[in-house]
Amino acid sequence: MTLTSPPILLSLIVFLPALGALLVGLSPKARDELAKQIALAFTVLVLALTVYVAIPAPADPGAIAPSGPETSSRFVVGAGQMQRAFSIPWIESFDIYYALGIDGISLPLVLLTSFLSVLAMAASWSISRHVKAYCVLFLLLETGMLGVFLALDFFLFYVFWEVMLLPMYFLIGVWGGPRREYAAIKFFLFTMFGSVLMLVAILALYFSSDLNRLDKSQLAAAKVHTSVLKEHDPGGPPLHTFNLLALAEQGQAKDSPFSAELVWGKSIQWWVFLLLLVGFLVKAPSFPLHTWLPDAHVEAPTPISMILAGVLLKMGGYGIIRICYPICPAAAYELAWLVCTLGVVSMVYGALAAMAQKDFKRLVAYSSVSHMGYVVLGLGVWTITAQTGMSGDYWKMGMNGAMFQMIAHGISSAGMFFLVGVVYDRVHHRDLDRFGGLFGKMPVYTGVSMVIFFAALGLPGLCGFIGEVLVVLSVWNYSQALAVIAAFVMILTAGYILWTIQRVYLGPEYKGPHGDALRPMTRRELAIAAPLLAFAILLGVYPKAVFNYMAPSVDRTVDALAAWAAESQDPITGAIGSGASAPPGSAGLASLRPDGPWKEVEQP
Amino acid sequence: MELARLLPLLLLSAWLLPLGSFAAIVFAGPRMGRGGRKAAYLATGAIGAALVLSLAALGAWLWHHPLAADSQAVAPLSGDWYTLAEFGKLRLAIGYYIDALTLGMFVMVTLISTCIHVYSIGYMREELGEVTDPLVRGSDGGPLVRPGRFPRFFQYLSLFCFSMLGLVVAGNIAMVFVFWELVGICSYLLIGFYIERRSASTAANKAFLVNRVGDFGMIVGIMILLGGLGTFAFGDHLGAEGKVEPGIFSQVRPASAEHGLVVPDGLVRMAAADRLAAVYASMPSADAAEEEIARQIPQLRRAGYGYGLLILAGLGIFCGCVGKSAQFPLHVWLPDAMEGPTPVSALIHAATMVAAGVYLVGRFYPVFAPEVLLVIAVTGCITLFLAATIAIAATDIKRVLAYSTVSQLGYMMFSLGLGGWAAGLFHLFTHACFKALLFLCSGSVIHACHTNEMTEMGGLRKKMPWTAGTMLVGCLAISGAGIPLLIGLSGYHSKDAILAQAFSFARHAPAHAWLFYVAAAGAALTAFYMFRLWFMTFSGKPRVEQVYDHAHESPAVMIVPLVILAVLAISAGWTLPGVDWGLPELLEQARPLGTAEGFPEARTIAGLVVPAEHHSHAPAVHKIVSLAAFAAALAGFLIAAAFYGLRLLSAAAARRWFAPVHWLLVHKWFFDELYDALFVKPALFLARQAAEIDRGVIDWAADGSARLCLRIARIDDWIDRWIVDRFINGLGRWTWRLGLALRPLQSGQLRQYVVMIAVSTVTIFVLISIYRNYAFLP
Repeated sequence: MTLTSPPILLSLIVFLPALGALLVGLSPKARDELAKQIALAFTVLVLALTVYVAIPAPADPGAIAPSGPETSSRFVVGAGQMQRAFSIPWIESFDIYYALGIDGISLPLVLLTSFLSVLAMAASWSISRHVKAYCVLFLLLETGMLGVFLALDFFLFYVFWEVMLLPMYFLIGVWGGPRREYAAIKFFLFTMFGSVLMLVAILALYFSSDLNRLDKSQLAAAKVHTSVLKEHDPGGPPLHTFNLLALAEQGQAKDSPFSAELVWGKSIQWWVFLLLLVGFLVKAPSFPLHTWLPDAHVEAPTPISMILAGVLLKMGGYGIIRICYPICPAAAYELAWLVCTLGVVSMVYGALAAMAQKDFKRLVAYSSVSHMGYVVLGLGVWTITAQTGMSGDYWKMGMNGAMFQMIAHGISSAGMFFLVGVVYDRVHHRDLDRFGGLFGKMPVYTGVSMVIFFAALGLPGLCGFIGEVLVVLSVWNYSQALAVIAAFVMILTAGYILWTIQRVYLGPEYKGPHGDALRPMTRRELAIAAPLLAFAILLGVYPKAVFNYMAPSVDRTVDALAAWAAESQDPITGAIGSGASAPPGSAGLASLRPDGPWKEVEQP
Repeated sequence: MELARLLPLLLLSAWLLPLGSFAAIVFAGPRMGRGGRKAAYLATGAIGAALVLSLAALGAWLWHHPLAADSQAVAPLSGDWYTLAEFGKLRLAIGYYIDALTLGMFVMVTLISTCIHVYSIGYMREELGEVTDPLVRGSDGGPLVRPGRFPRFFQYLSLFCFSMLGLVVAGNIAMVFVFWELVGICSYLLIGFYIERRSASTAANKAFLVNRVGDFGMIVGIMILLGGLGTFAFGDHLGAEGKVEPGIFSQVRPASAEHGLVVPDGLVRMAAADRLAAVYASMPSADAAEEEIARQIPQLRRAGYGYGLLILAGLGIFCGCVGKSAQFPLHVWLPDAMEGPTPVSALIHAATMVAAGVYLVGRFYPVFAPEVLLVIAVTGCITLFLAATIAIAATDIKRVLAYSTVSQLGYMMFSLGLGGWAAGLFHLFTHACFKALLFLCSGSVIHACHTNEMTEMGGLRKKMPWTAGTMLVGCLAISGAGIPLLIGLSGYHSKDAILAQAFSFARHAPAHAWLFYVAAAGAALTAFYMFRLWFMTFSGKPRVEQVYDHAHESPAVMIVPLVILAVLAISAGWTLPGVDWGLPELLEQARPLGTAEGFPEARTIAGLVVPAEHHSHAPAVHKIVSLAAFAAALAGFLIAAAFYGLRLLSAAAARRWFAPVHWLLVHKWFFDELYDALFVKPALFLARQAAEIDRGVIDWAADGSARLCLRIARIDDWIDRWIVDRFINGLGRWTWRLGLALRPLQSGQLRQYVVMIAVSTVTIFVLISIYRNYAFLP
């Protein structure tokens, strides 16, 4: 096993930050600068490794479906399935495996995470209290985030999800502003509430899963461990699993074990979907579970705000696309209206609330609520209907748009929080009515801010536009009313962003205290802002930089759902399953179904 | 090189040159000579080169497709340069759609841009050094002194030129939207160029937001078209497998229907979604279902399915044009946009960007149903009249011109809506020439007088002969001066064409004859307010001596563009005899297929027939209209001369007589106040409510449940202390006491223990046996 083989390299990516945390912990006392340098070095190292993984691998067939152990961890661009996946026994008595893997959905988020971690660590130089502890927690947080995006075992996913929670709690609660305790506890309780529901859902899935229902090739595609293959016995007792790919395979099977009724006439997957959805929507955050976000952001130190908005929120969207939809397609179909409505409500509500804010950071936080609403909406637009001739194209557009929006929002929101931090460091207030005239005093800063804010506004040529426009345009064939409301948000967004620009940057002179402290950006600040600026523009004019990686996997997810829908959906009543109520047509529609979602091996 | 490859290449180069200039100025602007002087040369050079390339492209086109008196439509060139994203068959791309209209617009935009760039070198000279802004108070109470922003101005101009050319060359509606937004942001940046002025930044915000309201409609229109037709592209494209994928235009006007308006299948499907679901449910397979649907679609189409969506899509796209071209009811932003420097007003808010809405209506013409055209015509008609009335009462020289622009754009929309496709676009071109001229002249005046108020001017023609002369040409052109039935300035030809179409429309649809009369009245108003402006500014005696004394003629760098534009304002409408070279002939080459023969009768409005444009060329129509227009303009001119030139009548007295009307006009029909009360205030109210719900409802519930938990915890604690603990402690105490009581038993004597063990064992054994009913007891 070489250094570049997936089990080593992917594990390194996840655990290097933790190793760095250990090293920081062992570093000599009262050497704050050293602690920061070690932490930054480790984040840079992780970034280098993730970039290495993203370097396109030669697309030979063996790279995707290797016969022996894999020696390369580089990503095969253009292939949609899970790549470089592996599974190692961890707690075998409960069928829990240490399983990691990458695909086009997780890789861009992993890159975003490692990229923003470097920038946020670089932005942490202004931290002066308990520096060692800060660096340790920061690095642990990074391990948790990367683990969430790479985990293929639901239990492992849950563990990383919780691992990430605690450092965040302390980072807000110790290094935050005046109301940090309240904000930290609120953040913790909201997220905990979501994760408890998630745990219930995980157990429900585990106990109703049965690997024996899958055939050998499906099991191999799901990368289950070889020891499971030995136990595999189609007639035997249920073989439970936490494997996300195998769970999805079962969820999309014609006689899914998750379709059994649980309570109140609703199936297991209906309940599971709802529980998971709540858990992920807390994180996203979506109305009405979003109120922890403004408080957390206002109190959190700048680098933590960057991570919070740039990465943590994305876990909500990631969970929905990776877990909710593939595993519970019937419930997803039934509850698509809920997902889409919540998305649109968040968009409108976040934009309106942002417009009313007086605190700069609160405004940016509410803009996140609005922008993440696009993500939720785009993921949910189930447009595989008779009207479109059962075409998945519009949904692909929406889902790709939503995924792109996550990346774009990662860039623009991290940028906005950083820029707010820059001016806060100078004048120590965030009252929007006591700014103005920054253009004259900090011209470069203003220029950078305008570009980043315009990116958030969704100006063409910048990253925010692509995601927003793709999502909004895809909605019409799902719901015309929601589409019109979603398009309307465009006006509100322009309203609060332009109004903010006018109040902060324009005007004759600065109106608040500490006006003398408004010096131009330092070189370190520029070095942090410049990459964000560059990516905001690059992704705006060359979105394929992301789509080349992402689209095959997203399209594959949609195709799998389309295939499932063609098999089991009655277009007239919306009834799911080919039971007695299904009209004669629905069985015949199976002819539309291409190969199953995870089992085909594409030849690139 | 063949035309199909040469033209895209030429236009691409012309399009990207300003972008290069923009990028260069962003990175090196302040270092480009003293105060960034060379940035202007770079930007001007770039747009000048773009002009040369555009002219070359036009030349190549005309070489292949020579103009003639009866020019025929020529198939456009369309294709993609660059794909942004692709999902199945849905593609977001940067492409081109090149026909004579595109080329004409390219030449017009680059030509006028070049003139305005040159002019700006002189006009923006102050920005080279420190600028004293008398309109803004600094911290010391005096006028604000700030560093100049000369390169920044040209940087924005370059970005604008790039965006505008991108909008013109766009090959699909998504790309139009992209550049639509970009010209919007350029407009925002340039209106707010004097960022220290609150009025400027507010006007910039207003412009962008009002435009976004229009864009909202446009997005809805795009959604419908994308959802129904599955493509953004205007023209047909070569698909992946060498198959031709029909664009929007050929789906709405398929060649199989002789380019008549047909509701595309996709829209029929969209409207009949429920029926399709039923078909799917009743058929054994998807293929069979699709076959059945294909059989049913013609019947559904005849029954009217999808026609409403087609109308809605057209209205949506037009909504975007209403915003961009400042049509009623979204006209309110344009007058405020005059806060920007005057060259900007000339370029963006008169000649090019605001005309983009008209251009898009012209481009999207094949998709509009007759009902939509009527809406366009009525909107244009209301706008042209409304704006003209406000222009009468305005005293700010730029605002008069701004309202005049709104009014003229109204004429263009009006014409397009009545079926006068070529006439409306013809007016777009001629208007660009004379309105740019008028704005630059007004800039020259403002530059000399340092005021916008016409009430402080007067008699300036002696001091500024060139400016006065060229502006007179502009006034004559916009009023449509000419020798009836023979020749005239550019505006004469285009406005006559519009009125002729209106007259022809009135003959075909008598119920809508009022449109013609309003437009003719508008022509009189136009002449009146333009000559009012000219007389107030240039003739008579100076009103404020101080202003007059400081006034001076502008430098040559500003005068030369004026002269060039004046020449264009005179001649742009001409058709060269003998060779038949002229704008109308060029436009005929770009006429959308199927619109030459008029439109079918509207489905939903009885008696609405949009006539073919060639009817308006009939001598009978032409003669009446030409004379009527001339009479109207002459009347306007004479009234203006009577009030302001010869001063036979007193304007002050007229104001008193019509005090209520004047009050209404001075307040611009109270649109700003109305919108503030109807939209802005409620939006802010809703915003505050949303924030309040967060604190008052959601957080109250969250914090409340936390507090509830605490309270439960406290009760729990109480139970622990007073019940559980008491019980446990009590138990402990009991045990203790029991122990104490039993202590005497621990005597330490072995015999006693043995006896106790034996007795207990036997007792327990007996008890168990009895309880269990074991039968081994004796």
